[in-house]
Formats: sequence, C-alpha cells, structure tokens
Amino acid sequence: MTRKQLLVAAAPVAAAVPLAKLGLVGAATAASPPDHAGMAMDPIGHAAMIGDEVPAPGGPNDLAALLYPPEPLPHQPGRVREYTLVAEDRQIEVAKGVFFSAWTYNGTSPGPVIRATEGDLLRVKLANVSSHPHTIHFHGIHPSNMDGVFEIVEPGGSYTYEFQARPYGMQLYHCHSTPLKKHIAKGLYGAFIIDPPKPRKPAQELVMVLNGFDTDGDGENNFYAVNGPAFYYAKYPIQVRRSQTVRIYLANLTEFDPINSFHLHGDFFRYYPTGSSDHFEYTDTVMLCQGQRGIIEIDFANTGRFMFHAHQSEFTELGWMGFFDVID
Amino acid sequence: MASASAPAERRQSSHWRLWALVPLLLLAGVVALFASTGTSLLDLVGRAPPPLDHFNVRRVEFKPGEIRIRVTNPQRPNLTIASVTVDDAIVPYRLDGPAALGRLRSSTIIVPFQWVEDDPYTVGVTSSSGIQTTFDIPAAVETRGPSPRGFLGYTIIGFLVGVVPVALGLGWLPSLRRADARWVAAFMALTAGLLTFLAFDAFAEALGLQAKLPGGFQGTGLILLGIAASYLGLTFVSQRFSARSQRERSAPLEGAALATLVAIGIGLHNLGEGLAIGSSIALGELALGTFLIIGFMVHNITEGLGIAAPIAGGATVSRARLAALALVAGAPAIVGGWIGGFLTSDLLGVLFFSLAVGAALQVVVEVGRYVARRAPGGLRSGHVVAGYLAGIIVMYVTGLLVA
Repeated sequence: MTRKQLLVAAAPVAAAVPLAKLGLVGAATAASPPDHAGMAMDPIGHAAMIGDEVPAPGGPNDLAALLYPPEPLPHQPGRVREYTLVAEDRQIEVAKGVFFSAWTYNGTSPGPVIRATEGDLLRVKLANVSSHPHTIHFHGIHPSNMDGVFEIVEPGGSYTYEFQARPYGMQLYHCHSTPLKKHIAKGLYGAFIIDPPKPRKPAQELVMVLNGFDTDGDGENNFYAVNGPAFYYAKYPIQVRRSQTVRIYLANLTEFDPINSFHLHGDFFRYYPTGSSDHFEYTDTVMLCQGQRGIIEIDFANTGRFMFHAHQSEFTELGWMGFFDVID
Repeated sequence: MASASAPAERRQSSHWRLWALVPLLLLAGVVALFASTGTSLLDLVGRAPPPLDHFNVRRVEFKPGEIRIRVTNPQRPNLTIASVTVDDAIVPYRLDGPAALGRLRSSTIIVPFQWVEDDPYTVGVTSSSGIQTTFDIPAAVETRGPSPRGFLGYTIIGFLVGVVPVALGLGWLPSLRRADARWVAAFMALTAGLLTFLAFDAFAEALGLQAKLPGGFQGTGLILLGIAASYLGLTFVSQRFSARSQRERSAPLEGAALATLVAIGIGLHNLGEGLAIGSSIALGELALGTFLIIGFMVHNITEGLGIAAPIAGGATVSRARLAALALVAGAPAIVGGWIGGFLTSDLLGVLFFSLAVGAALQVVVEVGRYVARRAPGGLRSGHVVAGYLAGIIVMYVTGLLVA
C-alpha cells in the first residue's frame, strides 16, 4: 500500500520510478506462471518481456528447423541437391493468440532453409497445393527460365527449378507471383545459403529471417519477428557458447517497411554484406533494406544474457526482439 | 377490449391465453426446422462475410501506474482479446473478465503502464484473428475512483448546477404573484418554451450517445422506449393528480400539482445533465472551471422560473413544499454526477436523456393545456407566443455559456 501511495505521489515526476520498479520486479516475476488473472505484481517494460511472461506462441524447440541450418557439405562440383517445397495455405499463430491466414512454403513462414555448396546442382521442386498460383524466385546466378517469374505454378501443379548454386553467400528466395507485395506479405519467402568452395571456419550457425505480419490487411505490419512468431526468442533465448564464433545468416524479408535492422547488445560483430566476399564491417548495428542480407560473426567477450533486436524501437516493441544466453 | 366482446365469446375467455400460445408453438417448430436445415440456404445466395472482429472500446481509464481499457464485443460471433498495444507497442496485460467475449459481453484490460500526464495515447486491442481496434485518448488525465472526496465533489457540483439555480429561480414567485394574468400566462408559456428546448437538447444528447453504443444495443429503440415510458408514465401521474384534486379526469393540472410535474420533467433532464457532466469530468474531457459552473447556474435559473410560474396562478404553497420542488428538479443533477463520475455508462446516459425527452414533452403538453384554458386570449395571445419564444431564446443564449 505504501509503495502504491508513493507511486501516486510521484506520478508526474516518475522518470526514475519505472526504472527502479523494473529492476525490482524483473527478478520477482521471472519464475511466476503466465496467469493473466492473478499476477501478483505488474512487471513493466523489458523486464516483462522475458521468460514465461512473454506473449510468444509455441513451444521451446518449435523453430529449431528454421534457426539451425542444415550442415554444410564439402565442395564437390556437379553434386545434386534436391529440395521439395510445398506451397500451402495455413493458419499460423504469429503472436500469442493471434492467428494469421498465411501462404507458406512447407507450412511455416519463413519457409525452410535451403542450403547448397557452390557448384552443386540444385533441384527444387515446387508443389502447389494452395488456392493461388505461386512461384519460387531465387536470388543468385541462374538461367532466365529458372528465375521464378514466368514459370507460374497453378494450384494443383508443380515445377522443378534446376540450376547450379552460385555465387556463394547468403541468398534468399521468395514467391514472385503478382500482386508481389501480397505474396511476400502473406509469408512466401525463406533463406537460401550457398557455401563457398573453401569451407568457412566452424561456427555455431544460426539463420535469422526478419519478417513482419500485417494481420488486419491495412498495408502495415501489426507484428514483427525473427523466423516467424513475435517475441519468440525473448521467451526462449538462444543459447550459445562464448568459446566459439556465432555465425548468423541474416536476411530481411519484411514487407511494407522499407528497412529493418539488427542490433546486438554488449558486443560487436563482423558483418559481411551478402556474405559473398571477405569484406566486412565491425559494428553492433546493421541496416537492411527489403531483400538485403548478409552474414554476422560474433565472438562474444562475455557470458550472460544479451539482447538483440531491430533498432527501430517500434519493431522491437511489436515483437522483433530476443536474447542470447551466452555460456562458457 | 374484453368488455366489447359478445357474451357467447366470453364463455371461452378462460381459454384465450392457451389459444394465444398456438402461434408461438408453431413458430418454435418452424425455427427448429429451419435451424436444422436452413444453413444450406446460404449456399444458394452466396457466402456470409467474415465477422468484422472490431472491439467496442467503452472506456479508457488512467490510474497511477496502469491503464484500464473496457471493451465490449459488439458482434454476434465470439471475439477474443489476444494482444494489447499502447502507442504501437505490445504490452503485458491482465484481464478482469474473460478473454473470449460472447455477444455484448465486456472485459476490462488492465495494462501496467507508467503513463505521462497530459500526453496523448493510442491504445490498441487485437483479436485472435489479427484485427486491431485502436482508440485515441487526446490527453491522459488520472481517472479518480469512488472516494469520499470525489463523492463530496460531485455532490457539490450537482448542488451548484442543479439545486441552487432552481431554488434561486423560485425566488421569482412573489413577483409573479403580483403580476397580472397575462404576464403569468406569458411566463407559463416561457416554461413551455424552455422545456421544449430541454427536450430537444436531451434528444440530441441521447442520439449522440447512442451512436457510440454497439449496434446490438439498438440505441434508437432504447431512445423511443425511454421517451414513451416517461411520457406515458407522467401522463398517468398527471391523471392521478388531477383526479385527486378536482375529481375530474380530463381537467388540466394547475398550481402545485402542475409545478410538481414541471419539476419532475426538469429533474429528469438534470439527471442526464449531471451524468454528462460527471462522466466528462471523470474521463478528463471537461475543463471544470469556475466559468462553466457559473454558466450552468445562469442556464438553469430559468428552470426555477418554470416551476414558479404555475404556482403563481394557484393557491399559496408552503416553504417546505417549495424546497421539495427545488430538490425534485435540482437534486437529480447530484445523483447523475455520481453515476457519471463513477460508472460512466453510455447506455445509462441514453436512457436518462430519452426519459428526459418524454418527460419534458409531456409537461409541455400539460402546460399547454393549462395555458389554453386559463390564459386570457388562450394559446394564440401575443403574451403566450412571445413567452414561448422567449423561453427558447433564453435557453439558447444562456446555453452559449456552457457549450
């Protein structure tokens, strides 16, 4: 009671109060259950955005297939790599309790991670079981009839894209049917990694596709996320080891907003634009326009919990934030 | 109706209630039949559109360290609260009520939030289907809950804008008693004019408030119900008054009885006015200054005159009776202030204002009947016409002070 009265009295000059309260409450509520009706105390701000209090859907390992890419294979020109992507309409939970009628590759948005080594022959079959015509448009170097612009796959149909994987780097893929904005906003995109002939040094590899969801169809995103559900990595921090480099294959597939960004707390990283050369920038914040991507390499100096998020505060507070739990 | 029936039919009158059930039973049968097969009708004519999934944001309150958002489901299908934003940021919240709302059901969303006084805010509530409803608050001001201080505050405000001006207006009584019959008639007409103004004013308020209600509440129907109920209720009361005092049912009311009726009509209007003032203050929409209070006092003093005019033409009335009349007309402003300040229900506002419309109209009719029969020259005399118009003009001009 006394504390409440104190808050009442201090309300107009309360700049310091929420910070103090945040610190107090963060520890107190970290272990309490997500019970809407009976929260004993009111956590405020980021203190509330960790652990069970976070309004993120799904279970602890739901995004494992999107976060952890397939293993890289050694350089072996002419080797055939086959993938099948099924375009299907699916209701997905994009934020806690919020369902979005998405168009997906293989039931998730983003779709599966496609990985090949430079020189591999890629065969990607698109089977369309959805109710709209779709394609797959890959970024990279390939013949014009494999570009996913003219080869429209009608509902019930299929098409196999076949081309040599090059150049190495972080690429991406997305549907190129019209209206283009709609087909991307609905969720038809994913990460496409091409490994260099000379393998990159071993690292803890992660994939992060930045995306957003316009759930009410007004041409503005209601939720922002990494790999799908809003606040997912705030609820389930990504555990990494300090002893080994963390490599993030990062791509921006957010529709409507021209740019998105990635910011890491408490450390710096090397950022390789598009990942197709040795040129890098040493920074803690990178900005990506729609379709831009690159590779991040972090050598964590410290253990502990470090936040990562879009440096557009609005995106952060609409779901695009998460934590690394760095252990030794 | 029954008295008009022929004797032969009257023999069966004990069964008429049973027979009245027949159409209802048939309806139940048809409804059951349709419900089991009727959905296929939709396939013939098209497809039902998806629900809008918009919430009706009823009230947003700012308390120290938290924002409380009252939402209602205005549509037939269930509507589920899934995500809440303040200024485009997703915030943790808890619910005082269910998350999945049935038709016209409400819940209060409690958001722990360090809001800044006087800053504008936009709150958003997103349904499970991803549809976001936003609500703008132009400036955040703390909403006070029920407290002895607040109670006293609304009492004083209601007393000042309701009871005081009516009591002061009754002070015209000695002057009116000395005036000749034509002037008394003019003031009676003035009473009718100001009551007509109040009826219009209340009707506009009721229409405005009902527009904010979810469609399911059928605000316009509620207004009609309120008007009809108060008009007919007061007609019944005035019949009783007149039967008691004159033993003649159709005689027009006069004197204290008519004044009481006028006071009831004004009182119902002040109930709505008090509610509007109370909720505006509570929600920080009204700058409550000295000028506004003075404005209401000047505006409402004419209401006292309206009560005094019928008394002037009749027998002497005790001071206690006068005080009672002032309370009947003015005190509802206090009650309205409490309700508006602590509950703020648009539904009650619509109901109160429409009750005021019916009451005011009924009193206008009653005053008209009195003037028509008692005034020198009847309804068409210059004094009456001018008085009536003057009543409207006075209300309009003093209304400028509170608009």
